[in-house]
Amino acid sequence: MDLGLTESQELLRTTARSFMEREAPVDVIVGLQKRESSLDPDLWKKAAQLGWLGIIIPTEYGGSGERLSDAAVLYEEMGRGPLPGPFFSSGVLGALTVLEGATEEQRRRMLPGVARGERVLAVAITEPNASWGPGGITLAPQGRNGSYVLNGTKLFVADATSATDLLVAVRTGEGPTDVSLLHVDAKARGVTTRRLPGFVSWQCEVSFDNVVVPASALLGEAQRGWTALSRALERALPLLCAYIVGACQAVYEKSVAYTQARVQFGVPIGRFQRVQDHVIRLVNHLDSARWTTWEALWKLDTGRPATASVHLAKAVASEAYLDVCNAAHEVHAGMGVLVEYGLVAHTQMSRTLFHYLGEPRWHKRQMANALDW
Amino acid sequence: MDFEVTYTEEQQRFRREVRAWLEANVPASVQRTPVSAEDNYQRYLELRALGRKLGAKGWLYPTAPAKYGGGGLDVDHAIILEEEVDRFDLSLPPYYDSGGRLGSASILVWGTEEQRQTFLPPIYRGEVRTWQLLTEPGAGSDLAGVRMTTAVRDGDDYIIKGQKIFVGSDNGTDRIWLIACTDPKGKRHENLSWFMIDAKLPGISMQPMELMGTGGEGGTDSGVKQTVFFDDVRVPAFSLVGGENKGWTVATTHLELEHGGGGRIGRNRVWDRLLRYCQETKRDGMPLSQQQDVRDSLADIYIKTEVQRLFGLRNFWLTYARKPKSYEGPQLSYFRKTTGLWMTGAILDAVGPAALTTDPAWGSAAGFLETQQRNGIVSVHPGGTTDIQRVQMARRIGIGRSTREKAGTVHGAE
Repeated sequence: MDLGLTESQELLRTTARSFMEREAPVDVIVGLQKRESSLDPDLWKKAAQLGWLGIIIPTEYGGSGERLSDAAVLYEEMGRGPLPGPFFSSGVLGALTVLEGATEEQRRRMLPGVARGERVLAVAITEPNASWGPGGITLAPQGRNGSYVLNGTKLFVADATSATDLLVAVRTGEGPTDVSLLHVDAKARGVTTRRLPGFVSWQCEVSFDNVVVPASALLGEAQRGWTALSRALERALPLLCAYIVGACQAVYEKSVAYTQARVQFGVPIGRFQRVQDHVIRLVNHLDSARWTTWEALWKLDTGRPATASVHLAKAVASEAYLDVCNAAHEVHAGMGVLVEYGLVAHTQMSRTLFHYLGEPRWHKRQMANALDW
Repeated sequence: MDFEVTYTEEQQRFRREVRAWLEANVPASVQRTPVSAEDNYQRYLELRALGRKLGAKGWLYPTAPAKYGGGGLDVDHAIILEEEVDRFDLSLPPYYDSGGRLGSASILVWGTEEQRQTFLPPIYRGEVRTWQLLTEPGAGSDLAGVRMTTAVRDGDDYIIKGQKIFVGSDNGTDRIWLIACTDPKGKRHENLSWFMIDAKLPGISMQPMELMGTGGEGGTDSGVKQTVFFDDVRVPAFSLVGGENKGWTVATTHLELEHGGGGRIGRNRVWDRLLRYCQETKRDGMPLSQQQDVRDSLADIYIKTEVQRLFGLRNFWLTYARKPKSYEGPQLSYFRKTTGLWMTGAILDAVGPAALTTDPAWGSAAGFLETQQRNGIVSVHPGGTTDIQRVQMARRIGIGRSTREKAGTVHGAE
């Protein structure tokens, strides 16, 4: 048993943290919030040079082929921002979907560009019904002259306005999991992407208006899309959780510092037990998310059955981030809602990730099924 | 990271040896639920006999130093012992005893060599059972406010007088350790002293308290508590550990351990039985576990038990790898206590009124869930209330006081 980071993980953490402090301090994070695209070209290029975009892509496809737990160290540091950008969408969920679902030829064609940052993937799963199971996938392509024609809407697609390539889950049969994956050029005629307005971070609408896609756009085999997505999600979700853990850690540190610095009634507010209670609620959530996430990562990296652990970790992390931000707002009062202070970026992200790729209730039910109760 | 203890071939051999020994030496009768006070006492005697056998092999307190009668084993071997004993639904020690886990830690750190040689071997070998006597009517959460029990130096002895409440378990004890006020006018934290004494001395009397908890000798837990009276009890000055008026410092060593600092590995017996009950019990023709609302409740309960397990594992690793600790000890206690309390409602909601009765026909899981309904509430206070745990956490985090408080040192006591 060893619950510490390895030496190389510590090194990666130091590098990533100094990168974040240098390149993405609070004012940069706040400045990015209102942009239509989550991708900042300068940050993206620098991250590509550091090898972060292909961190879990196998070396034969141009990545560095690190273990998930190594990548998790990086994602924790990104979450501290919270750093916007299609890092997870393209480099993790997109890349894993290609790895799990595509043919060898498609992998060789797509993944090196993803690792270099030239190709940016976004995975379109759910629709206006907002269901994250296979039943939520109803967009059905029509066949015409050996091509597919798409008409309809994919919703809550993370980072679609930054993407060059869309991986679209489509319904191709009556069976519950008769789902296929199509690789669609984000610039193809009839495709429009739009960031949803409001209290949500880079969740997008993707509309298809008579979009013609060649037969070669089918990723792997027909009807195998759900299996590929499930496998990709099982490995991707713990990295999204790691991002959340880093985010919770940053919110915790911000809150502790504020209780020590802010003086009211002549003393630092941390002297008040009611204020302490918010911080304690916060750190309990943080540690719950941290250890459930890391156990899931360990199971995946060591080839143990991990399905239930992954669902558990996402349920815990989603709930944790939401309530961590609530507690932080109770600590910070007016300062917390001042946009330039930086807490608001977390609060909005916590709401966004609460539902993204499955809300806690959904993951708890999947966990119960996986445990065979 | 590696969340699992991996065992060498030698350790696997040790496991086989332990398993064979336990199968030969644990009487099947100790697993019974006592039917009367007399039966409860008889079962206690059987558990003590088992404790002495374990102690003779160094398996009662496996990581305690061999020099003082402990097992001198490393943590990996201790884990194997814990896991194997757990197969019999027992713990180490198999009865309530504060001596080997808590009091001995303070003696190891603060006692003289002669005191270690005198006090520790009988504890580690299971020859004596020891209770800790801390709480008083006027000093509960404010433990440093102990005033009622006083010790006054008289020649080569101390004379102890006063009263302790909410202490011990059922079936009496051989030894006692306590903190008593030795300087009523002295400053807080500098006016207490720590004694290890014989429980059979003249002037000591006990009276059981009727409490909501159940289980007189439930492994490390006990639902039965006593009031202990000291009526001019004469104890030798040799009983004083750590020096006069140093009692608070001596106590911090075991208080940190009691606040969850040591960590824990092991399965959650409530969860296992709850799930089995819900799978085996039907309502409206369908197993409880197949009903969506019950399943949702079970998922929430399961997640809490998993987080609690992981916090225990983390603390265990921090201790074992000798990593610095901050708020983690009281965090585990706080989480365990609040989860247990919350779970009484969650289980009642999932299972229904069968969770409340011990009736062999209509109750649940052989009365096990009824026990949780009581003990989930009782457990809020022993070893510091949920509020005290939060106060501890805040100090360790570095809020609430101008300087960050360190976790008490327990490494010397392993």
